[in-house]
Amino acid sequence: MLSRHAEDLYWLGRYIERAEDTARMLDVTYHNLLESPSTDETRAWKELLEVLFLDAAYPGPLEGRDVSSYLVTERSNQGSIISAVARARDNARGLRDGISTELWEAINVFYLELARADFEIDIERRAYEIFSSIRSRCQLISGVAAQTMPRDEGYRFMLLGWMLERAEMTCRLLAVRYARLAGEEAEMGFHTWASVLKSVSAYEAYLKAHDASLNPTKVLEFLLLSQEFPRSVLYCLQLVERLLERLAESPQQTRVERAIGRVRARAEFCDISVIVNEGLDQFLEELQKEIYDVSEEVEEHFFRAGTDLQLHSYRWA
Amino acid sequence: MSVRGNRGGLCQYTPPMGIFDEVHGPSGVRPHYRQLMDRLDTIGDADLADRFGLIESIFRTLGITFAVPGHESGIDRTWPMDLVPRVIPADEWRHIEAGLIQRVTVLNRFLDDLYVGSQEAINDGIVPRWLIESADGYVREAHGIPAPGGSRCVVSGIDIVRDEEGTYRVLEDNLRIPSGISYVLENRVAMTRVLPVGFARHSIRPVDHYGASLLRALQAIAPPPVVDPTVVVLTPGVANSAYFEHSFLARQMGVELAEGRDLLVDDRHVYLRTTRGLKRVDVIYRRVEDEFLDPVVFRQDSLLGVPGLHGAARAGTVAIANAIGNGAADDKGVYPFVPALIEYYLGEKPILPNVTTYLPWEPDQLELILGRLDQLVVKPVAEAGGYGIVIGTGADEATLAATAKALRANPRGYIAQEVVQLSTHPTFVDGQLQPRHVDFRPFVLSGDGIEVVPGGLTRVALKEGSLIVNSSQGGGSKDTWVLEDGLEDAVTTR
Repeated sequence: MLSRHAEDLYWLGRYIERAEDTARMLDVTYHNLLESPSTDETRAWKELLEVLFLDAAYPGPLEGRDVSSYLVTERSNQGSIISAVARARDNARGLRDGISTELWEAINVFYLELARADFEIDIERRAYEIFSSIRSRCQLISGVAAQTMPRDEGYRFMLLGWMLERAEMTCRLLAVRYARLAGEEAEMGFHTWASVLKSVSAYEAYLKAHDASLNPTKVLEFLLLSQEFPRSVLYCLQLVERLLERLAESPQQTRVERAIGRVRARAEFCDISVIVNEGLDQFLEELQKEIYDVSEEVEEHFFRAGTDLQLHSYRWA
Repeated sequence: MSVRGNRGGLCQYTPPMGIFDEVHGPSGVRPHYRQLMDRLDTIGDADLADRFGLIESIFRTLGITFAVPGHESGIDRTWPMDLVPRVIPADEWRHIEAGLIQRVTVLNRFLDDLYVGSQEAINDGIVPRWLIESADGYVREAHGIPAPGGSRCVVSGIDIVRDEEGTYRVLEDNLRIPSGISYVLENRVAMTRVLPVGFARHSIRPVDHYGASLLRALQAIAPPPVVDPTVVVLTPGVANSAYFEHSFLARQMGVELAEGRDLLVDDRHVYLRTTRGLKRVDVIYRRVEDEFLDPVVFRQDSLLGVPGLHGAARAGTVAIANAIGNGAADDKGVYPFVPALIEYYLGEKPILPNVTTYLPWEPDQLELILGRLDQLVVKPVAEAGGYGIVIGTGADEATLAATAKALRANPRGYIAQEVVQLSTHPTFVDGQLQPRHVDFRPFVLSGDGIEVVPGGLTRVALKEGSLIVNSSQGGGSKDTWVLEDGLEDAVTTR
């Protein structure tokens, strides 16, 4: 398929996942503050911005209302939910032949809802409603995509973007939250770990797999290495690996396949207790870098055909 | 209310005097319309209005709209299709088809002769050289670009009108990027939904093979020795008002819809950027105008084209349809010479005559034009879409004076024609059938041979008495039915 179409689908997946993850984190940060009043509010919002790499760019006060507006409806913020959805919609519009009508409608309706003039006021009054409605819009979009799109190359590129973004976001979340936890007593960390789990919809799944004692190592292991939980880093990376095998369709291993194989193996065969003892920070940093390498290789392999050529056309001017 | 007031159809329809009506002849409804009109007659007015409403919702659901230039609100109009189709009987169609094949054959030959041949027609004085070289669409850089089989006009849209006597006349040739075929196909789809009952169901010639025919024609012009050529449609992008048609045609042919940035030229070969790497492209059906095709050779500010495309075309590694520079033949100033070109190349009389045209750059004709300005139509040679046309019969003094001044200042910029009172056709307006002027754009494909799609776009001026049918100027359209051979007998004896 056309590289441009593949790239647009890939980013469409990434943008929707980014919007969903941002809403999840906002939701959890907000409600965590309500549930445990002792938490330092300024610090909590700062951390959220750090997870999203927006702490340096953020211009306002570290308060729930301002940070929420900045992350949801601020168009000048390239990392806001509305910016992500607007770009997903631009991509979808140019892809009308490549996606189902239902998928286009789901994305379009989502955008129009966010772009409504009175949306900002709503945030102050009904935070829960807003965050959960954004989350369910995103879930609707992924559901509609899964139910209406043929399992062709285009679908795989969309899913690829979706899963890479999810793996990255989970890593970032763990990196920032772990840094915070390091200096605290274990029992002080309960709410933090509960909120980490909730922000990726893993709280209930974790309780089923383990118990309510929220052992930090087990939480880490669950979010990094679960083979069953669809938002764990390993789960996402395994799916990415299968997608790339199909997409590359090459008898020899390509660079992009080697890159994903490397990071998947690093995650799959790591020993979580060793990692915790020797430094989770560094492990997560390396994991993120390798996931980023995979994204680079994806772009290089699938979207940049011909850019390395020394073009001879100009001689013919 | 008349006795048959509860019935729809033609009972209240009055064809205008002195104009050819497609349906009503001197002795009542013409034979090829009887079946259709009987059918419409048995459908009540209210039911007709319901069905008319259905058309809009069908087109909205299909997402078929078009942008009106000058209306920047971004709200597209739904494509306006009329409920009453136009019917062309088989014998008339044979005549039209033969005329179109003759005309397009000659236009192809003339263009090939001009750009890669010895320019016989010009050297023999059939068309003045200065006229061709001053045409807006003449492209000096197109000299030497080969067109396999001489098919430079792979897709032509020839605008045809019917005069007061019912004679089919060519009004205009469109040999660059004629549009409208998607509406022909979608009109047919909508019509089968609105009037589904099986009247005349065995008698209307289908048009839905257009995609396959177009692909075959495009494959036929692939540069030899390619066997299984890769064809792409090149579009300026989603912002273009005809983007719907571009994507429609790519889908109908099952080929990629590319933008300029999806293609690249390396060492005089054109490639498509795909997820499997670069893929050679052999034929480009471009819907991008000449001057935007290649920023290296044409407009440097164009982001729609592909740098080096012109060089690849000249090297003969890729075929471009329609060929670059076709504007040298569909210029309105060149149009008056097409009948002479037909006689020159084929030794035949034109089957479809032109509309009587006067040339302002000939001093004696200029005087004639200026003397009869209030009776003639003056058209700028370089405009399309019905813009800039002055119809003398309806113009005020100031407009006529301004037109006279413009003619004197730039005679090459205009032609003048006798006003053709276009034929009328019953059209559903304000809940009843009223006469409205129509024209006709059939589509002609040149590949291995020349094929005329049996149908075309009938455009209708929805404003009462108006002769301007362009959709950008408030025109509508009709599904156009070409009947199978032998039907007239079947209808008249029934």
